[in-house]
Amino acid sequence: MANTDNITSLFGKSPIAPLQKHMKQVHSCLKDFAVFAKAANAQDWEKAETVHISINNREEQADKLKKKLRMNLPSTFMMPFSRRDLLDVLLIQDSIANITKDLAGLMMTRHMVLPEEIAGDFIKLTGLCVETSGAALMAVNELDELLETAFSSRNRKIVGKMIKTVNELEHETDNAQNDIRNKLFALESDLPPVDVMFYYRAIEWLGETADAAQKVGSRFEVMLTK
Amino acid sequence: MEIIANYGNVLIIMAVVFGVFMAWGIGANDVANAMGTSVGSGAVTIKQAIIIAVIFEFAGAILAGGEVTATIRKGILDAALFANEPHLLVYGMLASLLAAGSWLLIASSLGWPVSTTHSIIGAIVGFGAVGVGVDAVEWNQVVKIVMSWLASPVLAGIIAFTLFRSLQNLIIDTDHPFNNAKKYVPYYMFLVGLVVSLVTIFKGLKHVGLSFDTVTSYMLSIGFGVFIAAIGTFLIRNIHLDPDENKDFYYASMERIFGVLMIITAAAMAFAHGSNDVANAIGPLAAIYSVIDSGGIVGSKSALPLWILFIGGVGIAVGLITYGHKVIATVGTGITQLTPSRGFAATLAAAATVVIASGTGIPVSTTQVLVGAVLGVGLARGMAALDTRVISRIFLSWIVTLPAGAVMSIVFFFALKGAFGA
Repeated sequence: MANTDNITSLFGKSPIAPLQKHMKQVHSCLKDFAVFAKAANAQDWEKAETVHISINNREEQADKLKKKLRMNLPSTFMMPFSRRDLLDVLLIQDSIANITKDLAGLMMTRHMVLPEEIAGDFIKLTGLCVETSGAALMAVNELDELLETAFSSRNRKIVGKMIKTVNELEHETDNAQNDIRNKLFALESDLPPVDVMFYYRAIEWLGETADAAQKVGSRFEVMLTK
Repeated sequence: MEIIANYGNVLIIMAVVFGVFMAWGIGANDVANAMGTSVGSGAVTIKQAIIIAVIFEFAGAILAGGEVTATIRKGILDAALFANEPHLLVYGMLASLLAAGSWLLIASSLGWPVSTTHSIIGAIVGFGAVGVGVDAVEWNQVVKIVMSWLASPVLAGIIAFTLFRSLQNLIIDTDHPFNNAKKYVPYYMFLVGLVVSLVTIFKGLKHVGLSFDTVTSYMLSIGFGVFIAAIGTFLIRNIHLDPDENKDFYYASMERIFGVLMIITAAAMAFAHGSNDVANAIGPLAAIYSVIDSGGIVGSKSALPLWILFIGGVGIAVGLITYGHKVIATVGTGITQLTPSRGFAATLAAAATVVIASGTGIPVSTTQVLVGAVLGVGLARGMAALDTRVISRIFLSWIVTLPAGAVMSIVFFFALKGAFGA
């Protein structure tokens, strides 16, 4: 005779840790890509393939986490933020992993080796994108502290600063992306046109990971204001 | 009168047995919900919770259980209508105990949410209205009680919201949450002691035969509040800021202070629960006893005998020890997202609300009050995810439990009438 469901059924599963876990997974996906890019650049295709598989696995893991979180979020939940905003943040987080997977897939199938002149810049841009998503992860990781203070303005300011960093980093990636494009433009007449097309696409997709990280940050900020 | 003279002893023994069974059921089942937020916040271990619950449920039942017992015993039915047929009141109260007890067994074995308070009120109103006559029920009183079922969770929610906001402003959302916790927590402890002792001294102790004048009562209450604050200050004096544990979570040290506070709040909650819920078991018993003891006079002014409160308290304690610990463990592990600061705000708000209800003689559902309190903390953005489906379940349990208690008590009432004679 366990008449216990009255009080226990009040407590839903917190979405906070799952959201953070998902972002961490997504971020590790992008971190893997940095390793992949270096391996590809060195034409170490064996290593690249191993990392490529790891990226795909992580993307799949992130996808599972996303689905699980969504399944455990009934509309009857009363949360300190809007359910819609939370789901938006989750979707944008997930897009980082999706783009990363596509990018690695593209480079892998084409055995893409960037021209020497831009290869270094591309690796640098990769690093910047990882940093941007890392900064977004840091903000998302503040969510349990935010909850503890019941989303006090003091704590929201701290997170606001973190998100400002995300924006600044994303701005840097924009500049870096432009620089690479300019360099590539100067080179493109000497390169196979189809390759050039896909170089542009790779640069664009890489930049999109940073864009998505920035969107995570700004959507996250909206989520906090309720 | 003949029936009472012939079967008086049998009827009393039956009433004691059923009453003790109900008390056992409350201890086995209900207490777990009352202690759930304390155990769930991780501040109180299951063993500590049981020890606290046994002591303070018992103390609450005896020291502050009299007022609600009086309501159930003689507040819901119009005594005048039973003057010529006192045995009907005895049958009815016995039937109510049987109905509420069986309903508790059936519903909990099916996993339905059920409140002992609602079952017993439904049962008494049921046999009164159908077995005796619609006029036998003091409908004003019943309406007042039902309104309080709506009002008490709301009140607890408002108190919890306010309490939590004050914690946020004074302690959590400051530059030095740990230091401020040490500074302000004793005041909250004072509050716990004050509320509990005010209600007990003004309303409860007269049933134990103690009474004080107003000034002494206030002095005693304030004194008790200071005493509790002193105990609390003593307990937290050795808690130190540990920068290591705060690396992962900045508020870890502060939460440990609330953990200590939680032990005292859990005691207050157990006290409140005992003071309100013991009546569900012994209110009908008290009514039966007073009729039979006075030789068939209904509504006699005789005081509630202390031994009745005592067996209520013992019944709850035995229920806790024999079975309640299992349920407490289940509930405690089922609640994971409560931190001590939230557990404290919610539990104190619920305890205060229930104790006030006990002082006013209103039987409320402790579990539902607690649900209201936790939702109050949630509205202050203090909880990660609360499932509001529980609100519809509460309404559902009213809709099911009240008629179920009523129908069963009507059946038992006529059965008893058939067995012992009209």
